[in-house]
Amino acid sequence: MSLLPTGPAAPTPLRWLGAFVDNAIVVLGAALVVVVFSNVVLHAFDKDIAWTTEFGELVMVWTTFLGVSAAVQRNAHMAVTELIDLVPEPRPRLLADGLVQLAVAGLLFLLVWKGGVAADAGWGSEMSVTGWPQAVQYLSLPVSSAIALVFVVWDLIQIGRGIPRQQRYAISGVNTA
Amino acid sequence: MVLVFILLVFFGLALAGLPVVWSILATTVLTIWSFDLGHPLETIFLTYIGGVEPFILIAVPLFIVAGELFSRGGVGERIIRFARSLFGSLPGGLGIVTVASCLLFGGVSGSAIAGAAAIGTVMIPALTKQGYSAAFASALVAAAGTLAIIMPPSIPLLVFGYIAGVSVRDLFLSGIVPAFLFGASLMLVCVWYGLKTGCDRGGQRASGAEIWTSFKDAFPALLMPAIILGGIWSGFFTPTESAVVAVVYGLLVAMVWYRSIGWRDLPSLLYSAFLTSAVVMAVVGATAALAWVITVEQVPMVMTEWVQTVADNRWTFFLLINVFLLVLGIFLEPLPALVLTAPLFVPLARLYGIDPVHLGLVMTCNLAIGLYTPPVGGTLFVAAKIGKVSMGAISRALMPLFLVSLLVLLLITYVPALPMFPVWLLR
Repeated sequence: MSLLPTGPAAPTPLRWLGAFVDNAIVVLGAALVVVVFSNVVLHAFDKDIAWTTEFGELVMVWTTFLGVSAAVQRNAHMAVTELIDLVPEPRPRLLADGLVQLAVAGLLFLLVWKGGVAADAGWGSEMSVTGWPQAVQYLSLPVSSAIALVFVVWDLIQIGRGIPRQQRYAISGVNTA
Repeated sequence: MVLVFILLVFFGLALAGLPVVWSILATTVLTIWSFDLGHPLETIFLTYIGGVEPFILIAVPLFIVAGELFSRGGVGERIIRFARSLFGSLPGGLGIVTVASCLLFGGVSGSAIAGAAAIGTVMIPALTKQGYSAAFASALVAAAGTLAIIMPPSIPLLVFGYIAGVSVRDLFLSGIVPAFLFGASLMLVCVWYGLKTGCDRGGQRASGAEIWTSFKDAFPALLMPAIILGGIWSGFFTPTESAVVAVVYGLLVAMVWYRSIGWRDLPSLLYSAFLTSAVVMAVVGATAALAWVITVEQVPMVMTEWVQTVADNRWTFFLLINVFLLVLGIFLEPLPALVLTAPLFVPLARLYGIDPVHLGLVMTCNLAIGLYTPPVGGTLFVAAKIGKVSMGAISRALMPLFLVSLLVLLLITYVPALPMFPVWLLR
């Protein structure tokens, strides 16, 4: 049994993708805690892990952007919903949800495309301490945006089928407040 | 013109229900396209990544993890028990206990919404059982919950420190007196309410033994602010390191001392904390991209000229900031609001001879009030949901709490010595 909150109902490949993202967030988050704390302990002995800062920043960027795609899947992003909640159910609300998700899909497409171009240009430059290509960090944006785009497209399909939001996000199980 | 366009597009998209992070990014892209500014989107998106990258910002998820550990570790109940033994006998005592608990919990969590949720879940039913109206009980938690982002460790103050290049230690020190002043003013409203309605005229004082027992139980949690502040102040930890120390200390307290969470709880705890952090940090990164466009287009310079024609001294300037941020805080969470406005206000404040530490504190206090200003606000929603009260009812009940908070805001704005005294003492 998974130790993480269950995601919304979806076809098996999407649930696997969601579970992969969720587990990656936990592993990267735990690694961040361990590395930064190890450095604090080493300070006590006047020692230092030189790559802590660079590695910490890399993990922070990946954790954040993977978290963005997980939040898309669980409809957990901050939003002002007071006005859209006044739109009557079911059809007008589905239409409003569809328009919002189309705008998000368009933006995510741009992030995948232009973020991909930026990442591609980053293979030529190296990080100063680890020596890893800069692209390893930049890839976090197009990769996570592509994953988020998959979740948004699935939501648009469900909207097209007339499934209301209460059912689409029925089992999110996470309080991001 | 660019700034007006940005404000109109952003508020239009956000009010239409587009999540805040996408509203900000879409506003950035649309501004570039509409004004034919020619900035490559690749550069904008790299700034978006760069906005979440700085090492000091790793403290944000780490403080959220520490807050989750203390919240799920049963610290809230222990703090309430301790506050009750101290203040429960006073008129309006249960209200005072609520405020004191939020203040103490703020010292370990740094998150207003986590504080409102942890304390509100226990205290709102207790207050209504005592005879307080559900609307007042919820309003009190909504207002007192925000003490967490003024009391160190405060995540917004930390982020301001990074943006403005100001000492986080000084910022944390500047938050101590205002947190207690806001707390005391809310407590006075509780005394007035308890006596006026007759629902809580005070009761029997707790014995010394009861106070000692509850203190011993809450002590490990109460020690955390001292560890964080002491570590940063002594120069032993950087803010990021203090955050990871808070996580490890939280693990020890929750798993070893209180034994309230086990290893199997950790994955979901980490997941929840890093997901919350991702939602917040993505908005911070997106705001950094928008702020880059605003800066490159020389909006701050135009704004500086305009502000100098309107405000001829620091006091008028502060009044402008207070009004602007109170309005902005209604719509934006504190972190993105700080990322967006700090680069504009810090250079202006320097022109008026204002200490950036004082500015950061005033900005954070404004945005804290915005968290419970109707109709939109993080702690407002959480408290209204726990108390099961309508937005209209909680808004009316908030009035006296809102008024005293505004008075304190004016006090700390126009008497800089109040918040800055500990900073000047230890600088």
